Amino acid sequence: MATSSLIADVTDNRPSNQEATVDLAGEGRTAASSGLKLFLWALAAASVLGFIGIAFRFINDGGRQEWGYYAATLAFMMTVFGGAPIVAIAPAIAKANWARPAARIASLASIATAMTALMMIPLLFKLPPLTVFSEALGDDIRRTSIWFDSPDYAPHFWNVLILLTLALAGLAMAYLMALPDFAAIRDHGSGWKQRWGKKLARGFHGRPQQWEWLKMRIGVTGAFYFAILLFANFTFSIDFAMSLVPGWKDAILPFYHTISSMQAGIAFTILGIWAARRWGGVSKYVGHEQMWSLGKLLLATTLLWFYFFYSSFIVFWYGRTATDTLTLKLLVSGPYIYVFWTVFLLAFIAPWWVMIWNKVRDSVWGPPIAATMVLIGLFFDRIRLYVASWSAEPDNLELAKLSMLEKMPDTVWPDVFDVFIMVGLPAFGLLGILLVTRLVPVVSLWEVQQSRLITKPIRFMRTHVMLVGKPD
Amino acid sequence: MVATNSVLGLYDNPDAGANAMDGLKSAGFPLGSFDVLTGTPYPEGAFGEYVPQHRLFRFPFFGAMVGLMLAILFTAGTQLAYPVITGGKPILAFFAMLIIAYELTMLGAVIATVVGIIFESRLPNLNLGAYDTRITEGYIGVVVECEDDRVEEARGVLQTAGALEIKTA
Repeated sequence: MATSSLIADVTDNRPSNQEATVDLAGEGRTAASSGLKLFLWALAAASVLGFIGIAFRFINDGGRQEWGYYAATLAFMMTVFGGAPIVAIAPAIAKANWARPAARIASLASIATAMTALMMIPLLFKLPPLTVFSEALGDDIRRTSIWFDSPDYAPHFWNVLILLTLALAGLAMAYLMALPDFAAIRDHGSGWKQRWGKKLARGFHGRPQQWEWLKMRIGVTGAFYFAILLFANFTFSIDFAMSLVPGWKDAILPFYHTISSMQAGIAFTILGIWAARRWGGVSKYVGHEQMWSLGKLLLATTLLWFYFFYSSFIVFWYGRTATDTLTLKLLVSGPYIYVFWTVFLLAFIAPWWVMIWNKVRDSVWGPPIAATMVLIGLFFDRIRLYVASWSAEPDNLELAKLSMLEKMPDTVWPDVFDVFIMVGLPAFGLLGILLVTRLVPVVSLWEVQQSRLITKPIRFMRTHVMLVGKPD
Repeated sequence: MVATNSVLGLYDNPDAGANAMDGLKSAGFPLGSFDVLTGTPYPEGAFGEYVPQHRLFRFPFFGAMVGLMLAILFTAGTQLAYPVITGGKPILAFFAMLIIAYELTMLGAVIATVVGIIFESRLPNLNLGAYDTRITEGYIGVVVECEDDRVEEARGVLQTAGALEIKTA
């Protein structure tokens, strides 16, 4: 049977390359609207409050348990902003055409990851040392951690190094993915944007060799970012949560942390493209296809959230040693039981129930609703993990050596400065991303052009579909 | 021979650009002296352009080999220098050495790949020649680098292929 007879040409209503260039790199990019300016000022004000919160935490330092919300907020930021660039990497490796308009928003999250890495440094001063000298024993006592034999500068220096490497890899990848667009801004932009475009394009003229090397560099930095993301989640979740709680030993936690980071990254990208479509003037470039595809990934990672949570939970549940019971009580059924149920509802039950319906997934409003629930749920999840861990006194390593939580801590409620921090720091990250989008288009121009080059809307029998070519 | 002129032909469709590349090849312009400029990546060889061969694949292989050698040296050397029998296993226990061998092999491959990318990128070409800003709008540029005596010939080939505009720099 000749299949070519089933296919017929239809009118291509997509924006032309010239139109896309004007919209994304040229005169179509107007100055910030008054609404956006107001929003940026609101984010800036919230950021200032966040830094006031940190300053007051330092001035009125009442002990380790008071830093729990700061740790939880940074963990949440690393979860969301660190995980989002994976949405730019994974589909690109799989040559998924649908992801092109969403890749830029996802990759720009690395700006906020870099900011998170810098904000992590004050928290390192609050981490207890790995060893202290015990007068009773006449020797050093080491608390349980992954840093066997307590090497010099561990864990502080290594955590900074890992987070800065993650940030640098993310920034390098975001820059490389934006390089051809800087060339387009140099050629078609005006004023300060054109000047920056010229500086950042660095002589990119679109020679085949330049494209080839760009592709390779994106691939290498992307793979490197992915590897470092896993490592950063591993060390962060252990050093800033698990090792602070005597007796908490869980091999699954780092992977739970990583998979929920990917879940949050997908949710952030969904909300980002929804906002860009709604207010960013790019509705011609992002739409149902991106929502539908990202919605499926969100559903998959939501199911994985439950899988990893349950895998971890069941070990403690069946273990039933005194330590297992105390750990489970601290994290699930004790002082944070209501937080846990909120997490369970918002990070799993509700988004799962919303996203199983194809009609909801294939809509512009469905995935953003589920994504909002996931982000709120995971914020509470980080509170559950980190506030509980930082409240698990004492710092006394002689007791920690017993590998047993001495007493169950009370619920630590946020004070006004914690609220400042919880609102201000994510706002600061978002502000950084939005300021960068004043120069870099939120939808990648060269990827839109490439998509137009290798796809073609056609009529297939009695329906309309997109014919996609996959070069290489 | 030093190329002193850069001639650019601008085309509004890729086919015409590919024809210009064919024309330059037929006219005897050496491979590597003409190239295509595009605003988006086209599949390799779509314009019949000269594709320089890189040797990046050799770098990770070399790095992996070096890493593996180092791992064997470290693990075997340490165990032979301090021969402590653990769990009744041989001094040179393959499964214990395998983990270090794997890690250092991968580390060597990764570092060598990064070095390879820098090396294979060569020095940046600061003389970028003729250019037109419409290339980032989706137009196709075909650029030829040639000496004074072949400029007119190059312009003729580009014009014959249907160039909208020809620039010389």
